[in-house]
Parts: sequence; C-alpha cells; structure tokens
Amino acid sequence: MTTGYHPLVKRLLDGELSLAELPPELRAEGEEALRLVGAADRAPVALSPALEERVMAAVRHAASSHTASLGNRAWRWLNTPRDVELRLRVRPWTVWAGALAAAAALALLLGRPAPQPVPGTQARGGMRDSVLVRFVLYAPGARRVALAGTFNQWDRAAAPLVPAGRSGVWTTTLALPVGQHQYAFVVDGARWVADPGAPAVDDGFGRRNSVVAVTAQGAHL
Amino acid sequence: MGVLLGLEGEATDAEVVRAVLAGDVERYAVLVRRYRDRYARFASRMLGSRDVAEDAVQDALVRAFDRLADCREPDKFAGWLFLILRNRCFAEKRRRQRQERPLDSADEMYAAPDRPDGDYEQVERAHALERALQHLTPEQREVFVLKHTEGLAYEEIAGVTGATVASLKMRMHRAYDRLRELMKEHL
Repeated sequence: MTTGYHPLVKRLLDGELSLAELPPELRAEGEEALRLVGAADRAPVALSPALEERVMAAVRHAASSHTASLGNRAWRWLNTPRDVELRLRVRPWTVWAGALAAAAALALLLGRPAPQPVPGTQARGGMRDSVLVRFVLYAPGARRVALAGTFNQWDRAAAPLVPAGRSGVWTTTLALPVGQHQYAFVVDGARWVADPGAPAVDDGFGRRNSVVAVTAQGAHL
Repeated sequence: MGVLLGLEGEATDAEVVRAVLAGDVERYAVLVRRYRDRYARFASRMLGSRDVAEDAVQDALVRAFDRLADCREPDKFAGWLFLILRNRCFAEKRRRQRQERPLDSADEMYAAPDRPDGDYEQVERAHALERALQHLTPEQREVFVLKHTEGLAYEEIAGVTGATVASLKMRMHRAYDRLRELMKEHL
C-alpha cells in the first residue's frame, strides 16, 4: 500500500520549495516525486495537415446552411396564408373624394419623372423589422454601464446606458431586429451582469446570458 | 492585395473574429491555423489518444465558429476556444466511461521508439504516466496537464478554468497521491 506524498513534497512538486529545502529524511521521497512529474511528456503534438481543410469545409457548410435557413424562413413567412380582416365604415361622399384624390395622384405621377428614393425613407423602411426595446439596470455606484449582446457582436462600447440622475438606474433604448437575442450588461467596462428582470441561459462556459425575444408585436422576456 | 495578405498574417484574434462575423467566412482559417496545434497537446494528454484529440480539436473549432456570435470578448478568443475544447474533452471522457470504452492510453503516442532521450526507462515511465493519467478524474487530469505539461502556474490555470487556486491545489495534491499509487512500479 503506497501512502500519499508528504505535504512538503507536494509543495516541492508545486514549485514552492526546492529539493535542498526539504528535510533530509524527505529528500528521497522528493526525488521520487520529481521523477514522477518529470515523466510528463511536453513534446508538441502535430495533428493531421488535413484538419484545417476539414474544419473549413464544415465551416463553409454551416455558413451556407445558415444563409439558406434564413432564406427558407423568409420564404415561409411570405408564403404562409394569414387571415386579414379589414373593417371600413365610410360615408358615401368620402368614397367619391377618395376616387377624385386617386385620379389626381395618378395624373401627377404620369406627368412627372419617377421619384428617387430618399435615403431617410429607405432607412425607415429597413427599420420595419426592428422594434424599440428599453433596457433598464439598477446599478448604484457604477461609473458606466453598457449593453453588449449578439445584436452588436458583444461590443462593450456600442451601447452605453444613460444614468437617470443619481437614482442608480441606467437605461437605454435600442432598435433590435426581430428574433431572439442574448445580452448582458457590462458594468464599469469589466463586470458582466445578467439582466435580473429577464430569463437567462448558460452560455456553455459557466456564464449567464439574458435572453429577449423580439417579435413584430414587441419584446418578450 | 499586399495589404490584405499582410493583415491576414498579423491580424489580432479580435480583428479576425469581427471579419468572420461580418461575413468573411474564409478568414476563419487564420484562427484554425493559429490554434490547431497550440491546443493539440492539451487535448492529446487529456484524452490519451492523438486521433481522439484531433477529432476534439476539429469539433471545438467548428463549434466555436457556430457560436462565434456568442463570443463576448473577441480579443479573448483563445481562452474562449480553450473552454470549448476543454468541455469537449470532458464530454468525450464521460461518453467513453458510459460506454466503458477506455481510450488506448497513449499506446499510439509512445509506440515510436525514436524518443529524443533514447532512455528506455524514461520512455517506460512516461508511458506509465500517460496510462495513469487516464485513471484520474477529468478535473485532476486537467490540472496536472495544464501545470506539468503546459507549464502554467496555478494562477494562470485559475484564469482559464474559473476554479480557485485553493481548489486547484487540492485537486493536484490528490492527483499526486493517486499517481504515486498507480506508478509505484515505475518510480
């Protein structure tokens, strides 16, 4: 039955003591222990040269699948039949007025060159799939707070929160695209804090990310 | 074009990660080349087989790409990738234990007789240590490999694993005792 190493020998193996610092009666045990850790193989390990190509093939496939799935989702959304109910209560004269206005607009359109898109209008059009989401964190004593998440590639500088006076409440409002997003607050540039008011998921590496689901109807926690 | 080539060689991890996330998928090869061999030894020692380690490194690199948008700190990609590989190694060991298929402990790695030292006794001891490492818990094996194969200090190991230095030392000291018992024929 082999007994464990003496605590001083373990400190030798940890590099906290030298062999000469061990009491004489422990030196033989120390030499044996050094032979043990000295057997650790530190030689580099070379993997197959084909590994890079295999990884990149998988990466390209994943990237194309992701693009395809986005396209499929968009196509399904466009093709899914929906019930649309329109209720109109109009007075008869408005019908005539509307028809006259339409005719006037048509005449104007036919008589003028086609309008050029206005950059601002385009931007608004692009925002139709985004929803304004307000984030709030109570962080008294914080010098600065920011919001990082999948929507800004976890950039700690992209979305700073603004303090509401000296109340300790920090807020920001972001336009987030429809979809599910993971995020966390970054306090004083270093401390990651999950949103206490939102569900959280394990990021797989021991930390918690908050989750918000954004739909055309709003944000859902 | 020269500028682009120069950038690829010198780009930081964070720059490459952002380029990949922006759609330049091919730039991911920079990270693959940068880390494939750097983490190969850790995976080999953890799993006891170069072939299984190669699968683990490959899976970790692909998984890292899949989850790249979750990488909070692109400038710390190396540590993030290490955690993915570490989790992958732990999962592989658990899977093998469930299936009762112990890995061929280091046989393939030590089959070659051309070790530079040429000392048969040392080769045998190294072989025995590799076998013995597979009998430690994954946590004990990890701290031993990171300290005595990768040469990291306890503080550095704490930084990459998230464990405290005190708990790492406790694991390591138990590993020393267990290894002594397992290797008594070779010391």
